[in-house]
Amino acid sequence: MTTRRNFLSQVALGSLLSGATPTKAKSIIYLHMSGGPSQIDLFDAKPQLKRFQGQDLPGSVRMGQRITGMTSGQSTLPVASSVFSFGKYGQSGAEFSELLPWHRKIADDICLVRSVNTDAINHDPAITFIQTGSQQPGRPCIGSWVNYGLGSENKNLPAFVVMISQKSGINVDQPLFSRLWSSGFLPSNYQGVKFRAGTDPVLFLNDPEGITPSTRKNILDLSGQLNAKRAAELGDPEIETRIAQYEMAFRMQSSVPELTDLSKEPESTFSLYGPESRRPGTFAQQCLLARRLVERGVRFVQLYNRGWDQHGDLPRDLALQARAVDQPSAALVLDLKQRGLLKDTLVVWGGEFGRTVYCQGRLTETNYGRDHHPRCFTMWFAGGGIKGGQTIGETDDYSYNVVKDPVHVHDMQATLLHCLGVDHLKLTYKFQGRYFRLTDVHGNVVKQMVG
Amino acid sequence: MRSLLFFVAVVAWCKPVEFTRDVRPILSDACFQCHGPDDSSRKAGLRLDTKEGAMAKAIVPGKAAESLLVKRITHASPVLHMPPRAAKVQLTEAQVATLRQWIDEGAKWEEHWAYQKPVKPAAKSIDEIVKARLIKEGLAQNAPADKATLLRRVTLDLTGLPPTPAEVDAFLADRSAKAYEKVVDRLLASPHYGEKQAMHWLDLARYADTHGFHIDSHRDMWPWRDWLIGAFNKNMPYDQFTIWQLAGDLLPNATREQKVASGFNRNHVINYEGGAIPEEYQTEYVVDRVEATSTTWLGLTMGCARCHDHKYDPIKQKDFYRFFAYFNNVAEKGLDGQRGNAAPVLSLPTETQAGLLKEINEAVASREKQLEAADVPAQIKAWEARRQFAAPSRAGLLAHYEFEGNMLETTGSYKHGRYLGLPPTPRDGPVGQAATFDSTSQAEAPAAHDFDSTKPFALAFWFRGGNNLDPLVILQQKNETGWLFTHDTIFNIGDLRRGAHLIVKFFAPGGATLEMQTAAPFGYGDFVHFTLNYDGKGKFTLLQDGKPAALTTVKNTLNGANFRTTAPLTVTKLVGTLDDLRIYNRELSAGEAHQLAVIEPVRYLVENSGIRRTKEQTATVREFYLAYEAPEATKALYARLQQLKRERKELEETIPTTMVMEERAEMRETHLLIRGAYDRKGEKLTAATPGFLPPLPAGAASNRLGLAQWLVSGEHPLTARVAVNRMWAQLFGTGLVKTVEDFGSQGEMPSHPELLDYLAVRFVELGWDMKAMQREMVLSATYRQSSKVRPELKERDPENRLLARMSRFRLQGESVRDNALAVSGLLNAKIGGKSVSPYQPPGLWEDVAYGAQFTAQRYQQSHGEDLYRRGMYSFWKRTLPPATLATFDAPDREKCVARRATTNTPLQALALWNDPTFLEAARHLAERTLRAAGPDRGKRLRQMFRTATARYPTPAELALLDKVAGEQLAEYRAKPAEAAKLVAIGESKTQYADAVELAAYTSVASAILNLDEVITKE
Repeated sequence: MTTRRNFLSQVALGSLLSGATPTKAKSIIYLHMSGGPSQIDLFDAKPQLKRFQGQDLPGSVRMGQRITGMTSGQSTLPVASSVFSFGKYGQSGAEFSELLPWHRKIADDICLVRSVNTDAINHDPAITFIQTGSQQPGRPCIGSWVNYGLGSENKNLPAFVVMISQKSGINVDQPLFSRLWSSGFLPSNYQGVKFRAGTDPVLFLNDPEGITPSTRKNILDLSGQLNAKRAAELGDPEIETRIAQYEMAFRMQSSVPELTDLSKEPESTFSLYGPESRRPGTFAQQCLLARRLVERGVRFVQLYNRGWDQHGDLPRDLALQARAVDQPSAALVLDLKQRGLLKDTLVVWGGEFGRTVYCQGRLTETNYGRDHHPRCFTMWFAGGGIKGGQTIGETDDYSYNVVKDPVHVHDMQATLLHCLGVDHLKLTYKFQGRYFRLTDVHGNVVKQMVG
Repeated sequence: MRSLLFFVAVVAWCKPVEFTRDVRPILSDACFQCHGPDDSSRKAGLRLDTKEGAMAKAIVPGKAAESLLVKRITHASPVLHMPPRAAKVQLTEAQVATLRQWIDEGAKWEEHWAYQKPVKPAAKSIDEIVKARLIKEGLAQNAPADKATLLRRVTLDLTGLPPTPAEVDAFLADRSAKAYEKVVDRLLASPHYGEKQAMHWLDLARYADTHGFHIDSHRDMWPWRDWLIGAFNKNMPYDQFTIWQLAGDLLPNATREQKVASGFNRNHVINYEGGAIPEEYQTEYVVDRVEATSTTWLGLTMGCARCHDHKYDPIKQKDFYRFFAYFNNVAEKGLDGQRGNAAPVLSLPTETQAGLLKEINEAVASREKQLEAADVPAQIKAWEARRQFAAPSRAGLLAHYEFEGNMLETTGSYKHGRYLGLPPTPRDGPVGQAATFDSTSQAEAPAAHDFDSTKPFALAFWFRGGNNLDPLVILQQKNETGWLFTHDTIFNIGDLRRGAHLIVKFFAPGGATLEMQTAAPFGYGDFVHFTLNYDGKGKFTLLQDGKPAALTTVKNTLNGANFRTTAPLTVTKLVGTLDDLRIYNRELSAGEAHQLAVIEPVRYLVENSGIRRTKEQTATVREFYLAYEAPEATKALYARLQQLKRERKELEETIPTTMVMEERAEMRETHLLIRGAYDRKGEKLTAATPGFLPPLPAGAASNRLGLAQWLVSGEHPLTARVAVNRMWAQLFGTGLVKTVEDFGSQGEMPSHPELLDYLAVRFVELGWDMKAMQREMVLSATYRQSSKVRPELKERDPENRLLARMSRFRLQGESVRDNALAVSGLLNAKIGGKSVSPYQPPGLWEDVAYGAQFTAQRYQQSHGEDLYRRGMYSFWKRTLPPATLATFDAPDREKCVARRATTNTPLQALALWNDPTFLEAARHLAERTLRAAGPDRGKRLRQMFRTATARYPTPAELALLDKVAGEQLAEYRAKPAEAAKLVAIGESKTQYADAVELAAYTSVASAILNLDEVITKE
């Protein structure tokens, strides 16, 4: 019952590597935009929608699909075109709204997928689904799967790190849940380790005042030596493991502060990521930390940016939200590229679903809100085996249904694993008699994304 | 992988091949996916899960070479080879050899062992069976563990707490043959026995203090937990224990306790995310009950048959929904839980409370009836038509902001105010529109009054708090001097709501301050009207909702200094709503305050009769009419009714509730759900148990009660096996069936089938007596052996499945905590009651939580004795479980969990080093030792070590301890300030005079509490 596979030095499960393709990505940085960014106001330009402004969404478009309890009671579902203007950028002609000026610089590095779709229509099931492959709690998240499958390349840092940044808009925010970085039925040493802003980036990392450096060393050595005697006496290898874990904890006490100490970063770094990157806890600083983590061989870095749930006051709140996220997201890609890390690092950007073309609440010329929309949304991917400079998928005139190259969440998950050289069909874990996988019983690698 | 190797090894040792042990697991794992019980996915019409299917064409008994099965699993062609090359599971050479051998030996078929009723073996004891197996393996058992180790082991196993040094002494001194038996009986009678057993059961029951899912706010299921602990302590037989928890509410004349017990199946997660579809979640609740019930009592993974027939076990999708039907008739809502417990709820008043409540209810009902007879709506209609209201007096009114979508000043005496940043959002307010400010909207207006300590004034306004977590400034006129209104934040006032005290501050030059706050809190989400009067001579009075409200002076350093200000009036950083702000150069009378707070909202509605009233607005008018304008008799009646309702509410808030099972009057229909989707209904089904298991006992009802009786009839092949296996796993670390949650085809075979059956039959014979069963286990020689890992066992049986030694494994997270608190003497041994909130690094909940308008969004640490309760009482928020417990593998309790992992990570080291719980415990362990052991260092160290481990250190160990203790004394002597800081960690204060000495021993104690031995049951 004891799992002796260690926390920081797991060995890859050789057999599950998909032999057909050479391994491309070593790490993933997953930038999750919690709440559901509006594809219609950021990526999926629909200029012709202006003509239908305020008209009821045609039944032929909705096709009776279920909508949430928040708008199912509305007497009409009036079309709200975006107040933001769009342009095409880079040689690839990727489309971004004016809210994402920094994205123009990475237009040819990213693969924009406008046809991602999901099964869930509310936050809790949708975010659980995109992170674990199931709408219901209990399964391991993608970072835990990757940690389980590939382990770590750094002996002094966790293989799977999670960071959370708060909203930049005004309206109420959606919650998150520890299950999103939980290892589910996998042993708990595969769960994400949360790094937090402030003096203790990892829980209880720093010795409190009163525990002097030599005291810490003495405690470590004394318990280590007594443990070693006990191990010799009883022969239980678990004691040796414990000694090793304590030594790693001690090393983490210096490796983590070294990681989070940004004082040696040059000025150019901060100008690239923006002024917010000097402020602990911001999305900008977390993007910078994400780069420093993958530089050190950390396998999976999961960021959550809260505040993308614009049911009302979308023009105001989305603009605030995008302003905080646009530059650091692009900077991360540019920074990885300039350091030669982008080929080994897969960057993922997106929410748990999209937003409806129809307005939630009162529609005015300058203000509107949008409800959750599972049928299509936009994500982007860069580096680590992804073919950049392309846009995949098309939606209908209302950005409501996918009309070309649909990419289901399970397909996206299969593709991420593929980029790491892992066959999603083979990365399994037997629990309650069944071989579970991230993609459940679904998922196809999206060939077009990987070129 | 290791278990696979183990079985391969077993096969190699023990010939001939046995179907159940050797063959079926291979077929199940590699073949059933396509050739198993699921009719819809079966390939080539071949099934290998039944004898008929397997023998029909795939197997020729006695002739492996001629059997199609062997041909295909050894086929050279990648197209014809089985399993298909792309399949997840491939056969090893050893497995192929086993299958061949089995067929050559005659292909003897046996039904799956777990579905056959256990048969009592000839063997008469646990030890007989274990030893017989070891002899076969050519292994011997370890010698008995030394007495101290054994005592610590059994005490931890039965109570979750370590033995005290006195208990160790007593046991060592007792040389009688029955010494150990006496200890076991003492421990089984300890009230902490029930806690330890409940601690494990809480994982199965997915117990938590919050609802889970999205908002994850507070719930109260601790009365159920209290019942559970009590049931274990009273040694309630497992059959009764089962019936009460699954169907206590359905027992004839169900008692309160029986109803409380039925809460087992209300412990699941409950959702009320805005926009979620009720039917979807009501379905999930029932699915969860099926999964938890089948895992806990049947050791079956019924959840696998939700979307399709089970791939490995003979559970049809129809069986799943028939089982589902038992749990589908609960009088529940799909979305619920906004205000604490979700229906159905049982209130748990004391007898006195119940009597009082009945009285009040009757009084309310009779008055409501009288009121109804008076036809109040008609009275109001007539009254509204004739009633003329006077406007509030404008004498001395300097400024008046109505917030009707702007900040116009209506008296005309002053300049208009203006909005800065983004304008606040207009909302329905008490009087017309109100303005909802957020962190980017601000307002500013020129000073309406030269506020001065020597001049009277009045400030009146409506306020409602927003969804911020932190207190914010509501309104102010202040530079260095002036005034401001702010508030504090308190959680869980009354019916779990948030509240606040209004705080008023006045500032004079040089930092002189007057701070006052309301004596009673107001509801933070309600509109409240405040009128602050100042008489110009140093006296303030406050009226809240038109009634005098007590103001407490928190701080007063003014000493007559003047708070004079002409700073502009500003609203900055407010998250909340303001309406109808008025500033006067005189005090307002109580009548005027009443007019503003009570009459103005009504006047607005009556005079603007064109506005379609909301429910709240209609209620406002009705309440006003009945309170002030109705005929005297009606007024008196209404006043009494309101008084009674207030009393009732106050009473109800003191009465705990718990969620229970309760049937709906009208049966909810159950359908097969196609692909498991709540909105894809297939055929209609009624409740029934799966066909491959025995039928319901004669006369059992077709409801949960019948289902529960079926489980414990004594005829069921699974119930007793699953229960005794779990007891075994608690003690030995691994179940006889390692997959304690899965006894089906894909579960692991029992390591000792005979022993499992022996225990299962014995358990029923003992009358389902849990204490007696555990007593027999811990009295066995198998349990009492040493846990030393002999070198040959390390290779041969690393998981200790053969039981040639006792298992040695880390304590469960809760026990890691409890053990440290107990050995330090800090433990608060109180049993039961509400959950508590021990130390936790700040901000963990706030990082992920939704917002302030719900409960359990902000961690409110407990203080005093509540900091030192056992881990099982830590407030369990599902979306962020107790941090240190989670580091030690505690589950989030979103689902039923039958088996926890036991990991070994550096995060655990960090927590044991630096979580203040453990440092405070180290300090107390040091202090109690220093006080008791006298001045000798060696004696001190020996005693401290023994308190923590139940044994004295060896000379070599003592030498190490002594060396470090000496170094630490020198270290803290050189750094006394550091010593003072170390001994100040934790909220308990030390009385020990010598901080340097205490700090040095605290550091040694910390090293001891970090020992593998201390967090391990040896």
